[in-house]
Amino acid sequence: MERENRIWRLLLLALPLIVFSVLVIWPLLSSFYYSFTNWNGFSGDYEFVGLENFTRIWTDRLFFNAIINTAIWMAAAILLPTVLGLGLALLLDSKVRGAKVFKTVFYLPICLSAIVVGQIWVWIYQPDWGLLNTMIEQVTGDHFNYAWLARPGSALYSVIVAWSWQQTGLSMVIYLAGLTAVPSDLLEVCEIEGASAWQRVRHVIVPLLTPSTVVVVALSVINSLKGFDILFIMTGGGPFNSSDTLAMHMYNESFRKYLMGYGSAISVVLFLIALTIIGLYFRQLKKVDEIYG
Amino acid sequence: MKRITRRALLATAMAVSAAGFVAPLQAQAGEITISHYFTGELGLKAFNEQIKRFEDATGHTLKDSPVGHEDYKTDILVRASGNSLPDVFSYWAGARVQFIADSGALYPIDGMWERAGLSDVIAGSIAASATKYNGHRYLVPFNYHYAGMFYNKAVLEKAGVSDMPTDWQGFLDLCDKLKAAGVTPIALGSANRWPAQFWFDYLLLRTAGPEYRAKLMSGNASYDDAEVQRAMNMWKDLADKGYFTENANADSWTDASDKVARGDAAMTLMGTWITGYWNGLGLVPGEDYDFFAFPSIEDGVPVTSVGPVDGLVIAANAANPEGAEAFLDFMVSNTGVQAAWSKAQGALSANVKVDPSNYNPVMLKAFNTVDKSEAFAFNYDLATPPPVAEVGLSMFARFMDDPSQVNDILSQAAADAKAAFEQ
Repeated sequence: MERENRIWRLLLLALPLIVFSVLVIWPLLSSFYYSFTNWNGFSGDYEFVGLENFTRIWTDRLFFNAIINTAIWMAAAILLPTVLGLGLALLLDSKVRGAKVFKTVFYLPICLSAIVVGQIWVWIYQPDWGLLNTMIEQVTGDHFNYAWLARPGSALYSVIVAWSWQQTGLSMVIYLAGLTAVPSDLLEVCEIEGASAWQRVRHVIVPLLTPSTVVVVALSVINSLKGFDILFIMTGGGPFNSSDTLAMHMYNESFRKYLMGYGSAISVVLFLIALTIIGLYFRQLKKVDEIYG
Repeated sequence: MKRITRRALLATAMAVSAAGFVAPLQAQAGEITISHYFTGELGLKAFNEQIKRFEDATGHTLKDSPVGHEDYKTDILVRASGNSLPDVFSYWAGARVQFIADSGALYPIDGMWERAGLSDVIAGSIAASATKYNGHRYLVPFNYHYAGMFYNKAVLEKAGVSDMPTDWQGFLDLCDKLKAAGVTPIALGSANRWPAQFWFDYLLLRTAGPEYRAKLMSGNASYDDAEVQRAMNMWKDLADKGYFTENANADSWTDASDKVARGDAAMTLMGTWITGYWNGLGLVPGEDYDFFAFPSIEDGVPVTSVGPVDGLVIAANAANPEGAEAFLDFMVSNTGVQAAWSKAQGALSANVKVDPSNYNPVMLKAFNTVDKSEAFAFNYDLATPPPVAEVGLSMFARFMDDPSQVNDILSQAAADAKAAFEQ
């Protein structure tokens, strides 16, 4: 009986294991393998070039451009949805009229795919008849046709705004859930003791929301690393690489320039960066766990 | 004219009957897989009609998987790396085919070319530039396009223009006149980068000539040469005078075409596919719009036409190379297929036996312009290897963003292109 059970367990485990190996582990290992070759993505014959791809990274102007953009992207994509989500959650938790409607409205964007969100914001940013420029024209009364997505100074930030618009709903919902766990009698005591609203938020609510913040930040980190599709739709990394992130740079090198070996090397570096960030984060997470159990 | 001998007649008769016997067998043995990027509403319908013609005529069956134009560039690469290329696929002649031919992913069609006598069917200049790679034939041209200065007739008439410019001064005068009439002379939509390349192509070809350009495209000349600087500075001159629509990098080529169709701008330098687009909007060729060839600039420089050639190629590991060859031959040799296709696509037929009266007046003019020009050149991103094309396309976008940076842009492009050629 016991033996039969074990066989069943192994059999049932084998299927997902095979699927996972074929679809995740194998491509991961191939990517490592190709990063040491000069494969162009087509050809059957290619050579091992040792560490050449990795040394080339250090002379690649566009790689450093992508690193800086990725840092800006990640910092903003973690900070903005978190802060905005917390602010919205606090506002909507205070039993304002129509809170339910607003909760739904703010949550809706997260149900859309990044492709749809990107396309909506492309329309909003359209220089001649887009919503944003039309509104600015109405307010100032002056002709205004700034091309938000087509100017190197604003392209990346414009995409960040669109991204935050979508992601804020998710953080808001997590914070709203966290707020239900904040004991109301504790807040009443604070109020009786004469703590101002700001002091209550600063010293009671936010510390008690730490577990929610852990979840929100973790999700933001993971989502921001995945934030390729919306950039691809809205700017394609352009104009002239001004909104290239590492993922976009990797795509360009592999699929537009046909340098699969070099693209793989970039993906290996991206993988190591992600691993480091997630590793550091999990160490922090353990500490939080120890405090909050 | 060759004398027909009895033996040749007999051989032909045997071949025909053999073909009739063999064809159904092959169809049973396996269908021909195909992939292509003709996915626009008009394109897909018309392509499927031509496939149907081939199936009816030969008994072969095709299994077809179309992919959108821009995605196709990546898709075919992914399929090649997975060793799962279809038997036949459409591809852009020039550096892209060179690139996959170098990788050994293509099947040479020299034998089929000879047997089908395609040298008599395909326009000489196209055959010379588009079909041969590394000494072998690999591609059958399916259609080609020509890039010219397409304009809104009503707008030019209103500005009092009746004669189209043939030289550079005439072109500058035209732009001045249009600007004075309150119309932006030139629309450019370079959001996807490639539409800007035609300006570089023509300015360089008309000043430095096709030979120099070929050198630049193959890495034997540099982007900071005086020739390139001169062409780019002529382009800068046009931009400085305010001849281009604002925010070129924010518009797609259809946005720019819409601006011309609406009369917000007078003209746009674009390929003949714009006729397919405009006809779809209800514009009448020759009445609502027309084109003129990019004006000559330097005397003694050969007149070159620019455009892409769409072709069909066979994968090296095709499961059904005989069927694939039959398909390629049929698609280019059958004048009915060629005429119907060029009409639907707003393209010029690669087959010289297609009666030019099939073309609408604008396409006929394009056909004659290419016919009379001394050379035919692929547009920039098909003329230079993909890694270099990336450098150039980014350079054009950066230039349109801020033309005053032209010197910086060229020295950066020179360094980047050199590095890209060395890879």
